Amino acid sequence: MAYRCRKRWRTWGCNLAGKIAVKFYGLMRRRLQTAAVEIAGDDLTIMTLLRLAEDKTGQSFLDELLDKDKGLLTGTIILVNGENIRLGQGLQTRVKAGDSVALFSPAGGG
Amino acid sequence: MNGWMGRIVKFDLGRMTQETVAVGDSIRRQYLGGRGLGVKLYSDLCPGATDPLADDNALIFMTGPLTGTMMTSGRYQVISRSPLTGTICDSSSGGNFGAALKGAGIDGLIIQGRAAKPVYLSVHDGQVEAHDASAFWGLDTQQTQKGIQAETGSKTSVACIGPAGENRVIFAAIMNDKDRAAGRGGMGAIMGSKNLKAIAAGGSQPVAVSDPEGYKALAARLDRIVDKNPVTGKSLQVLGTSVLVNIINAHGMFPTENFRRGVFNDAEGTSGEKIAETLLQRQSSCYKCPIGCGRTTRTRDKNGEGPEYETVWAFGAHLGISDLTAITEANYACNELGLDTITMGSTIGCAMELSETGAWKESLRWGEAGKLRDWVMDTAYRRGIGAELALGSKRLAAKYGRPELAMQVKGMEIPAYDPRGAQGMALSYATSNRGGCHMRAFMIAPEILGHPVFLDRFSTAGKAELVALFQDVSALVDSAVLCRFLQFAVGISTFTEMLRVVTGWDFSDEELMTIGRRIYTLERLFNNRAGFGRGDDTLPPRFFNEEFQTGPSRHRLVQLEGMLDDYYAVRGWDSNGIPLPQTLADLGL
Repeated sequence: MAYRCRKRWRTWGCNLAGKIAVKFYGLMRRRLQTAAVEIAGDDLTIMTLLRLAEDKTGQSFLDELLDKDKGLLTGTIILVNGENIRLGQGLQTRVKAGDSVALFSPAGGG
Repeated sequence: MNGWMGRIVKFDLGRMTQETVAVGDSIRRQYLGGRGLGVKLYSDLCPGATDPLADDNALIFMTGPLTGTMMTSGRYQVISRSPLTGTICDSSSGGNFGAALKGAGIDGLIIQGRAAKPVYLSVHDGQVEAHDASAFWGLDTQQTQKGIQAETGSKTSVACIGPAGENRVIFAAIMNDKDRAAGRGGMGAIMGSKNLKAIAAGGSQPVAVSDPEGYKALAARLDRIVDKNPVTGKSLQVLGTSVLVNIINAHGMFPTENFRRGVFNDAEGTSGEKIAETLLQRQSSCYKCPIGCGRTTRTRDKNGEGPEYETVWAFGAHLGISDLTAITEANYACNELGLDTITMGSTIGCAMELSETGAWKESLRWGEAGKLRDWVMDTAYRRGIGAELALGSKRLAAKYGRPELAMQVKGMEIPAYDPRGAQGMALSYATSNRGGCHMRAFMIAPEILGHPVFLDRFSTAGKAELVALFQDVSALVDSAVLCRFLQFAVGISTFTEMLRVVTGWDFSDEELMTIGRRIYTLERLFNNRAGFGRGDDTLPPRFFNEEFQTGPSRHRLVQLEGMLDDYYAVRGWDSNGIPLPQTLADLGL
């Protein structure tokens, strides 16, 4: 990336040395009381990454993002390096080491 | 008349006379109420290019059939020709004032003329009376509301102007119920031009409904739907509208330093999450609303309401400011003085870039939080550099020879979503009937938030149809009158049902959409008469010529012309943006 990161978890695509950054926003951050975790791994699906992130935080949060059929809730936003996974393979989108994944539960405003 | 109090009053402040305006059922069915009925009445009274601040201009306060009911609305609309843009304008506000007007026995109030000395109007039991407001002239909006309540009763709801409106600042707001604002378009300046300091309304006249059982059942169902919806039942309640800060920033379209960048490195510090952790005291709600998106906040020295998302941006990222306390206190100042926070902040950002380029010799620097509140105060009183900031960005930038540095459409400053990051939002800004506004068609919902469906934000395909559709839905929601946030939980068929149980009108969903389209087209006709056409349906050149170099919206430009052609075709307008005769005939215009 052309620009440098000021803080690792704020940026897109910074080199995380074999790790994937998972950032929590909104209601999930309040529930988990943490803004980000790093997951060791490479070439994982988003679904796998989310389960690993649940293990890492020690708390469940998938109900904030997924419906009861384990599909994305209307309004859930998951960005991989700023790109919405709905434009890719959804929860089967693959992420690699160094990627940054941002999780937003359904929100509105304006 | 179910849903209505059956009385709209026209008050001439010059002659101090009043009359009841007869509005038949047919007109109400064609325009619903609120924005639609207000625009219809305004267009009939002032069809041409009336000077917005002239004595003969009309200023209309209008409620809708759902205002004051359990359909969660205490809202009202203010309609006139905007002194900021010269377009038709309606400005919407929440709180209780709309419900209070109906409780006081009227559906709407049309103001014309100019009072010889400052006055306020009180409304009670269907009667409108003028009172001397000399003692309140010069007071801020909070002092004014308290002072007038001391005369009219503590339960009255007061809509008023502050010093900015008195001084006819062309982006002055009308404030009611403490800190709720009819913010955009300078409706407060029109009140000031009429020497009208405030309107106080109070009473307990009930709104009659057509189907009492269906009404109660629908109200209960609506409560459940709102409560279960993750946006209206959780996110807006806990985090307010500023939850959008991190979302929009993560998409690289959070306008930073007058739209020169799309990523604000300090966004986290001004986010809804941060506000909830630090300044938030409690939620606040409008009349009968189960959502409660409002933020009652406290800084070390002051307290008040806000900031909302657009305000966090206008005084934050837009100016390179990350000091949440300074942002919040600038918001409080706007509330007290009666100023639109979006135009205020955007104009300061324009001034900062003018200053940086050397076009303007005043020194306003990016990130300079310490003077923010002073600049707001000076604008309301038109003193020092505030006399220049009071011009708004379009006139300020033109005065100093750099009109392209004003981030506005038709004179109204565009808010907190960079159009390079969402093509539909770009078309929405360009074609908005009141200028650079996000509330005519909130395309951020599908393009970013995925409501009700998710669309590729960089694609132009199908955006024209959806922008027109969203504009029509927004027009009817503003006319019913309802809160836009309900749209996160329910759709057209629920609005149709609400109108049926309250008014007895048995519209189909298609008929309701036609009403929205009629209202939007009527507004367009007014703007055409006022001289607006295709050349005005555009954006500042920055969005066509300058790409972001970093972030998720990098290397993108707005592709407007093709979408605009499609949009006019969808609307049934000619290539210059003039509605075709057949379109008018189809809509009964």
